[in-house]
Amino acid sequence: MTQSISRTFLSVAASAALVLAAGTGSAFAANGDTLKAVQERGSLLCSGHNGSFPPFVQVTDDNKWSGYDIDYCRALAVATLGSDDKLKVVPISWAQRFPSLQSGDIDVVIKATGWTMGRDTELGIQFSVPYFVGATNVMMPKELGSTDPETLEGGSLCANAGTSTERLAANFFKSRGIEIEMITFEKSEETRDAYFAGRCDSLVGWGPNLAVTRQSAPNPDDHAMMNVALALEPESAAMRQGDDNWVDIVNWMFAATWIAEANGITSENVDEHKANPADSTVEKLLGVSPGIGERLGLSDDWAYNVIKTVGNSAEIFDRNIGAGSVYKLDRGLNALWSDGGVIVPMILD
Amino acid sequence: MSEAVIIQRPPQPGLFSRWRRNLFGSPLDCMVTIVCIALLAWLLYRFIDWAFISSIWAKEDEPLCRETHGACWSVIDARHRIILFGLFPFEEHWRSTLACVVMIATMVASCFSWFWSTMRISLLWICGFGLFYLLMRGGVLGMTDITPERWGGLALTIFIFASVSIIGMPLSVVLALARRSKLPGIAKLTGLFIDLFRSLPLLTILFTAAVITPFLLPGWLQGDKLYRVIAGFAIFFACYQAENIRAGLQAIPSGQDEAGLTLGLNYWQRVTRIQLPQAFRNSLPAIVNQFVITFKETSIVTIVGFFEILASGHAAYGTGEWTPHYIEVYVFIAAIYFIFVFSLSRYGAYLEKKLRVGRG
Repeated sequence: MTQSISRTFLSVAASAALVLAAGTGSAFAANGDTLKAVQERGSLLCSGHNGSFPPFVQVTDDNKWSGYDIDYCRALAVATLGSDDKLKVVPISWAQRFPSLQSGDIDVVIKATGWTMGRDTELGIQFSVPYFVGATNVMMPKELGSTDPETLEGGSLCANAGTSTERLAANFFKSRGIEIEMITFEKSEETRDAYFAGRCDSLVGWGPNLAVTRQSAPNPDDHAMMNVALALEPESAAMRQGDDNWVDIVNWMFAATWIAEANGITSENVDEHKANPADSTVEKLLGVSPGIGERLGLSDDWAYNVIKTVGNSAEIFDRNIGAGSVYKLDRGLNALWSDGGVIVPMILD
Repeated sequence: MSEAVIIQRPPQPGLFSRWRRNLFGSPLDCMVTIVCIALLAWLLYRFIDWAFISSIWAKEDEPLCRETHGACWSVIDARHRIILFGLFPFEEHWRSTLACVVMIATMVASCFSWFWSTMRISLLWICGFGLFYLLMRGGVLGMTDITPERWGGLALTIFIFASVSIIGMPLSVVLALARRSKLPGIAKLTGLFIDLFRSLPLLTILFTAAVITPFLLPGWLQGDKLYRVIAGFAIFFACYQAENIRAGLQAIPSGQDEAGLTLGLNYWQRVTRIQLPQAFRNSLPAIVNQFVITFKETSIVTIVGFFEILASGHAAYGTGEWTPHYIEVYVFIAAIYFIFVFSLSRYGAYLEKKLRVGRG
């Protein structure tokens, strides 16, 4: 994700807050604390946004939170409390994510957050397995005929000035020996408008942002993504360091939606699968035979409830980002490995 | 008594002839005037065309927005509830609306001089504010409990502005008087306090109040994030306003205070009867200015995760089909800001006129 100057400034402020937190010793959680606190409170506090970040966190016409990340917050609320009514989404800005997590304002950050070493080691944060892979990509008009990088030879590329995507794109094309002229703009609205006005032949950006931009085009079907990604960033949920049980719960919440997808279990047919489990994995997943709940400190039917309420990973993607949404983004790398993606479900034994 | 002198003004040229002389005096003047008028008319036409003639109004007509060069007000039609109410539950919007009406009525009422006694104005604000809070928060009379993190939009902006003003205004008077105190310890300490807060950006104060204080304060003193932020904002406001009031106090000749002393008035009588009324009158433009700035600065709270009107606007256009229409949303929000700030400054001008009565 690119960073603007004000965000960088706030990150510094946030880091200062975290150093302070580490000093006072309240930043670290003990094993099992978070689940206990959530269940005693009767609500799960999950990260929202101060505004919207489509398609991950946004607000519906009737003033409710929705989006890909919000659906995983809902899934976590169902897993820990049995119902997504008990989810409380706390609006926070990017810079506030980690300080709010440390001070206990929220229980978990599920908010397009990249797993970086600095955050992992210095900020006292623990990450879940990556649940989304964000690719930096290039959008170009379909009329060019091909989506190979070579198509852009001798053309031009619109980018946001001074961002990591600009550097990534320059390196990418240079290393392949493709001549391309970079045209940069300060504001992302300007960059977007320049591309649609035909000032440049292509536009570089973070995948989901690009998809939103494409969707807002006068004619979205005229534009396509380049068939090679420039870079990938793994997005993970972030939790307070020290509470291993909570990390396990979040990891297996993600895994449950993946295992369900791998076994063809959807929110529609989950009851049939529960009545007639195909194998021992499905039996375990849906709580027909015990194991999935007790080891995490939850009830045995938590995964069944998650699938019943929120659906499997394919349904969550489709509803918020994919064909079922207005964005119509290909699932690409975010599909299961068996469909050519990078998502590998853990093994439920 | 001197004789009445009949003052006769020199004859003034009429408006029309003055315009003709100033704008069309020479061929060059004529040209400049015509070019400027043409430019203005063209810009005005472009705006009217964008905003009214070629614009799309209904939510259902969104597909047409892609073909027109005019404004797409459909986004306001579809999403105005988010701009006005933020994340407030959909079914309870009547409460938020009513709360806003109550608060605006309270503000308007306190502009009338009938309410300008300590008793009346306090009573008015306690009632107005209490009713606002009751409607927003609920939890009684069968209204569901809605915690402040779900408040948003215009209602939150008004709430923050009103709370900051109510807490900040008395505090600023106290600070201004303390800084002029004859006791050197108090004067120095207050001066240090004011200058400390004035040397920090509002953003850092709000960030500290929202994010860092929970680490430092014991749990029972923390309160909700919203109240911490309002407290920080109010202190910031009071420090600036205190300096405005102090400027007004310093403009009063010291002889007036001494005259009060010789008449045997005590400190509070001198402050409330001689100093403060004149100080307010002297620095009224600056005081109103500070209110205007504060109203506009409420939008900074978005950075600590509040859904005030600007963040709500961001959420309103930040989804699916509405992402290209950010300009319309910003224009809509600008209009709301304009209504509030313009009425505030007109009221300031009215007050100045009214208070000048008897002063010649």
